[in-house]
Amino acid sequence: MQVERIKTDVLCIGGGIAGIMAAIRAAELGASVVVAEKGNVQYSGCGRMGNDHFETYIPEVHGSDKDAWIDELLRTAKGEILIGKNLLRTQFLRAYDIVKLWDEWGIPMQYKGRWEFAGHSFPGHPMTHIKYRGRFQKKILAKQAKKRGATILNRVMMLDLIRKGNRIVGAIGVHTREEKLLVFEAKSVVLGTGKCSRLYPSLTPGWLFNDPHGGSQTGDGRAMAYRAGAELQNLEMPQRHIGPKYFTRFGQATWIGVVKDMEGKPAGTFVKKPDRRYGDMICEVNKLAPEQYTESGKGPLYMDCTDITDADYKYMMYWMENEGYTAMTEYMEAEGIDFRKHPIEFSTYPLRGGGLIVANEKAETSLQGLYAAGDEAFGDISAAAVFGYIGGENAAEYARTVNEPVIGKDNPIIKTTKRLIDDIRGNENGPDWRETNIALQQTMSDYVGKVRNETLLKQGLQHLRRIRKKTRQTLMAKNPHEVVRSIEVLNMLEIGELTFLMALNRKETRGLHNRPDYPFTDPTLNKAHIISNIKGNNKLDWKSY
Amino acid sequence: MPPVINSEDCIKCNKCVELCSEDVFYGSKKGEVPTVTYPEECVHFNGCVSVCPVPGAIKLRIPLPLQLVYWDAEETPQIE
Repeated sequence: MQVERIKTDVLCIGGGIAGIMAAIRAAELGASVVVAEKGNVQYSGCGRMGNDHFETYIPEVHGSDKDAWIDELLRTAKGEILIGKNLLRTQFLRAYDIVKLWDEWGIPMQYKGRWEFAGHSFPGHPMTHIKYRGRFQKKILAKQAKKRGATILNRVMMLDLIRKGNRIVGAIGVHTREEKLLVFEAKSVVLGTGKCSRLYPSLTPGWLFNDPHGGSQTGDGRAMAYRAGAELQNLEMPQRHIGPKYFTRFGQATWIGVVKDMEGKPAGTFVKKPDRRYGDMICEVNKLAPEQYTESGKGPLYMDCTDITDADYKYMMYWMENEGYTAMTEYMEAEGIDFRKHPIEFSTYPLRGGGLIVANEKAETSLQGLYAAGDEAFGDISAAAVFGYIGGENAAEYARTVNEPVIGKDNPIIKTTKRLIDDIRGNENGPDWRETNIALQQTMSDYVGKVRNETLLKQGLQHLRRIRKKTRQTLMAKNPHEVVRSIEVLNMLEIGELTFLMALNRKETRGLHNRPDYPFTDPTLNKAHIISNIKGNNKLDWKSY
Repeated sequence: MPPVINSEDCIKCNKCVELCSEDVFYGSKKGEVPTVTYPEECVHFNGCVSVCPVPGAIKLRIPLPLQLVYWDAEETPQIE
């Protein structure tokens, strides 16, 4: 297999909002920058088709008392917080700088010449999110990165970080369309690789890609960070979302309607009729509402926009385009489905993997030269943009202080990677990645799913380890694309196993980590739950946020 | 299965092949009508449709399991 070597100051792994913002900032500061993106940076990550909400503090709107505003936000809009408050403060205080930059670069952050606050807020409380025209954000940000001299390598999937001592000195990847390995010698690395989306089953049984994240965010960054020895946090705390059934999409705050049952009774108390300013916050207060209605015999629940005014309808459709809903709205038009006539059923979406790579307010991880941002560390568009930018800045500064790394051609990771790919390409009659992914999903759903206890978790972990071992020995792929899918599923198996270990160690019930054998929330565990790999052994720990 | 290409209208520019992040068009050759090699990996985000310079040359067919569920009062089921 051909091996290509690339030297760079800063390597950005993943070209979503966080990765591309890191590239922009690092290149601006004079670093040589390469972005390695599994797909195409113009159309990758959660922001691929656009977004319409950006969380930010704006001095002329919110006044000068930043702390009062932040405290109010922490009390209301943010709900239970599983990250440090200093991260949130950094996001809120830096977001406005990014808003100004994006506007300057051609992503319109104002609407009709004003800051338009709407959605994600409670009536009577401070507004937190501006509406912005994000439809072409990825294209515009990619252009800005290139303009500053960053090199963008599309169709490259990174497999592992390369570490010397406590420092990350590079990474190894594969081309997704060619039989080629790529070895990067990098002074610093920024991970912006997204969440782990195909760990649990989708809303549609057996349909692996009905996922509002898209299908390529498979925990690659956290898996490689863990293998390199970085700390991961709270993987056992799953998340659930709410949205249209069965065409799964995020962006419920873009809808202008009221969540109601069949009799027209609202599920929440926040709005009685469609309101362009607030949407229906029940979607954020209780994402489980549709499931609870169905299970208690009161379902289904609908997002009912039928009382919307003509002006608000036009407004909503404009923002739906920016939020990336065109596939759905074009399909609706073709089928004669009309928001003004038809209540659309909303569903609680299935569990998805939680957790993150531990990174501080400088986007530094626990390893020198390794930074993490975006969903991989602390998500939403605004946080991804802020910490991507901060990560790029610090990665560039770090790169100035260290020597150029040299990775020998007999580096063990190069050999291991070659062997892994040769094995997968050489295997016959084994499972392909789809079969493995389905086996993983059913194990996650049944044994570390909505209800967990020690015996279930132990049995599930045993089963998962057997699946994982068999997969490593027999997984097969017939071309580079399937090699990529295979490596994704190996990463997901790794994250799945860590999820079990962390769920066993969290002896309490909290959020969606439901353990009837430990039915109470333990206040002494209001901490970050950490797992790290110390020379092949797992270390579990609790640290203050 | 999604996406569906009208080979008569397609101008073989391969923009959809370049853009798709799931790489459902894997193996397509430059200068030819793209092949939808991995249709089940489509995530229905409309990137291919939005980048296509010829309106209607590529469309998404939303598969049956992903159809929206909605209430239409005119279709209220009657039970005798």
